[in-house]
Amino acid sequence: MTKTLKWLLISILAVSMFLVGCGSKTNGTAGSKKTAPKKDTLVFARGGDSTSLDPITTTEGETFKVTQNIFETLLTYGKQDTTIHPGLAKSWTVSPDGLTYTFKLQQGVKFQDGTDFNADAVVFNFDRWMNGDSDKFPYYTMFGGYKKDAGHVIKEVKAVDANTVQFVLKRSQAPFLKNLAMSPFGIASPTAVQKWGDKFREHPVGTGPFKFVEWKQNDHITLEKNPDYWQKGLPKLNKVIFRVIPDNTARLNALANGEVDLMDGLNNSDEATVKSNSNLQVIERPSMNVGYLAFTVTRKPFDNKLVRQALNMAVDKKSIIQSFYGGQAIPAKNPMPPSIEGYNDAVQEYPYDLDKAKQLLVQAGYPKGFTMDLWAMPVARPYMPEAQKVAEVIQESFSKIGVKANIKTVDWATYLDKAAKGQFDAFMLGWTGDNGDADNFLYTLLDKDSIGSNNYSYYSNDQLHNILIQAQTESDQTKRNDLYKQAQVIIHDDAPWIPLVHSTPLLAATKDLTGYVPHPTGSEVLSNVEFK
Amino acid sequence: MAELAKNMMEIESKPVEEKLTPPWKEAWKSFCKNRLALIGLGIVIFFILIAFLAPYVAPFGYKEQHLADRMMPPSSKHWFGTDDFGRDIFTRILYGARISLWVGFFSVLGSVVIGTILGIISGYYGGLVDAIISRIFDIMLAFPSTLLAIAVVAILGPSLQNALIAIAVVNVPNFGRLVRSKVLSVKQEEYIMAARAVGMRDTRILFYHILPNSISPVIVQATLAIATAIIEAAALGFLGLGAQPPTPEWGKMLADSKEYLVQAPWTLFFPGIAIMLTVLGFNLMGDGLQDVLDPKLKQ
Repeated sequence: MTKTLKWLLISILAVSMFLVGCGSKTNGTAGSKKTAPKKDTLVFARGGDSTSLDPITTTEGETFKVTQNIFETLLTYGKQDTTIHPGLAKSWTVSPDGLTYTFKLQQGVKFQDGTDFNADAVVFNFDRWMNGDSDKFPYYTMFGGYKKDAGHVIKEVKAVDANTVQFVLKRSQAPFLKNLAMSPFGIASPTAVQKWGDKFREHPVGTGPFKFVEWKQNDHITLEKNPDYWQKGLPKLNKVIFRVIPDNTARLNALANGEVDLMDGLNNSDEATVKSNSNLQVIERPSMNVGYLAFTVTRKPFDNKLVRQALNMAVDKKSIIQSFYGGQAIPAKNPMPPSIEGYNDAVQEYPYDLDKAKQLLVQAGYPKGFTMDLWAMPVARPYMPEAQKVAEVIQESFSKIGVKANIKTVDWATYLDKAAKGQFDAFMLGWTGDNGDADNFLYTLLDKDSIGSNNYSYYSNDQLHNILIQAQTESDQTKRNDLYKQAQVIIHDDAPWIPLVHSTPLLAATKDLTGYVPHPTGSEVLSNVEFK
Repeated sequence: MAELAKNMMEIESKPVEEKLTPPWKEAWKSFCKNRLALIGLGIVIFFILIAFLAPYVAPFGYKEQHLADRMMPPSSKHWFGTDDFGRDIFTRILYGARISLWVGFFSVLGSVVIGTILGIISGYYGGLVDAIISRIFDIMLAFPSTLLAIAVVAILGPSLQNALIAIAVVNVPNFGRLVRSKVLSVKQEEYIMAARAVGMRDTRILFYHILPNSISPVIVQATLAIATAIIEAAALGFLGLGAQPPTPEWGKMLADSKEYLVQAPWTLFFPGIAIMLTVLGFNLMGDGLQDVLDPKLKQ
């Protein structure tokens, strides 16, 4: 009995010590907040790590979120839209035939390593990219392939003088300017690229407001103010730390405890919790995304169109949105969101109809169904904060038509790698638009040119390819829109995906954070962010 | 003559019945005197019943989703409330008993069989064989058990079956060592020497004489190990390395609902209680068995 008492006492002591520990910690931070002059370090918590810090080597949003602050592009987007604004190029002219673009560059800009930014640096970067291949620079496919490819849009990039650079195109490309403003095409320091070679992805040097300090994989990336930044008075912060906290709830707890100042991937179910906390605020990112379930169409049985259509009819998107998006998303029927020009609203969504789905499976030759692997992202993505849960709902409705889906997952970098190699039966993924053009959804995600980069479903349709290329070349926007509408009809019928949702991603921040304006593309410069 | 034979039989059989109660009966009697052990047994039997009757008793299907009714608090319709998919938690707890007991029982069975064989071999033969087997056990015991289990699952791939195998592997050295030490002492007994002296084969000595006389601590240890195995399965499930969705494994249920700790505490409470109760049951029962079967502690 005395032994039990002793243990009881010890455990009470242990618990109370733990509680006291918590108490002093909160006191500590509260005290330092009062005495500190002004906070100038931002800790940005997110679900996954960047896969590289050389933006051209990847197509993945967690990379751009960081590199957007290190590198700058020739052109930039509006604060919360995808209109074109000057960036490293202060002005530009286009020849009447749409084949020659001439850019006047900003003067007196230096890279963070002291190298001068000029026309030669721009030429150097484009030469580097266009001579690569889809393994090295996947996103360069935005310009129709690589230098050796017939479809390559850019004939040459030349330095007219130190501050003028000229692009000559083989064929006109309607979204050309919008493409140039995309994060992957951030101009890198030629000196640093030559110095580091393939290691440049770990030692990025650009002209941006913040310079790279340190990257501890899967933990944090530290950036520091670039003191010689060419835009005077910016950035307002001294330091930015991107921290990786995979679990959505743990991330929110870290925010509530004051360990981090800003987080993305807020669960919709946690919105109320954040709103009820007087120290926190909810920030909405304007929606320009699609979350989807893709089939690798080269694998059996997903090479059969009827199977894909059947599975399209076995997903109850409305319930998913109600349950795991807090109602803050719209069901998707096309691979691009309705906010983008050229969206085809006339496409009839596949109904949620299990009987019809079963019939289609019988027709396809699978009366007894089949077993498949369904891969779900391990991390919160803006288009899908809770992929595992969504997968579980889909698993259940698939089981009703005799399709047994085993939910699987693997870490984020491996996930993307395996998906790109076509090793999954079916997988959840999504896309946040980079430039607000239909081309950046349909061509980037589903054209046969993009197989190996972002066309993870290995879907290839020549008719679609012709339409998409035609739409790229066409300069009349109405005609382009018509072409994209046709494209969506073809994609809908072939059903390489189950388009799931267009979500409104939520972020949460401490109340005293100001100047943070989330961009629909998913990455933004943090130069105007500060603490009150 | 016939009468005589009948009398003789009576004379012979009488003392056996009266004086020598069979050992299991004696054990059962002293087990019954231990109230905590009985409670433990009761809990275990209760969960075994639940496991068998789950399909007949459960009001819903364990993977049946009603997204309109998600995270409903306990009510007359859903006794334990619903989870974030609108699945009935009561139903899932019932089915979960099957999984936990299944994993607990079979993983321990596996480690008992392998551990006993290895233990007997190394204890009986000694020498180099003993040295090798014992060192392997030492190496395995040097790892924290959960870490070792995670490593095994990482090699085999996450699934319930592999979690079971992992737990079995992790527990082998415990049984191996126990049996080995017991065999070492039993080996010195006179009846073993006698058996050897009359030229009995090794296998016969091992399995007819040494094994039955070394097994009682194994039974105790096994009962306690089931409790640990259930916890380990739950831990692996919690880490996403054990049961895969939509399997209603208790640890997995905890992991899936940890985000709703504040909004829907019942989604965590009931699986947590279920794990606690079964483990408590096996532990109480194991303690009781130890008192009864372990001669060292026998009063």
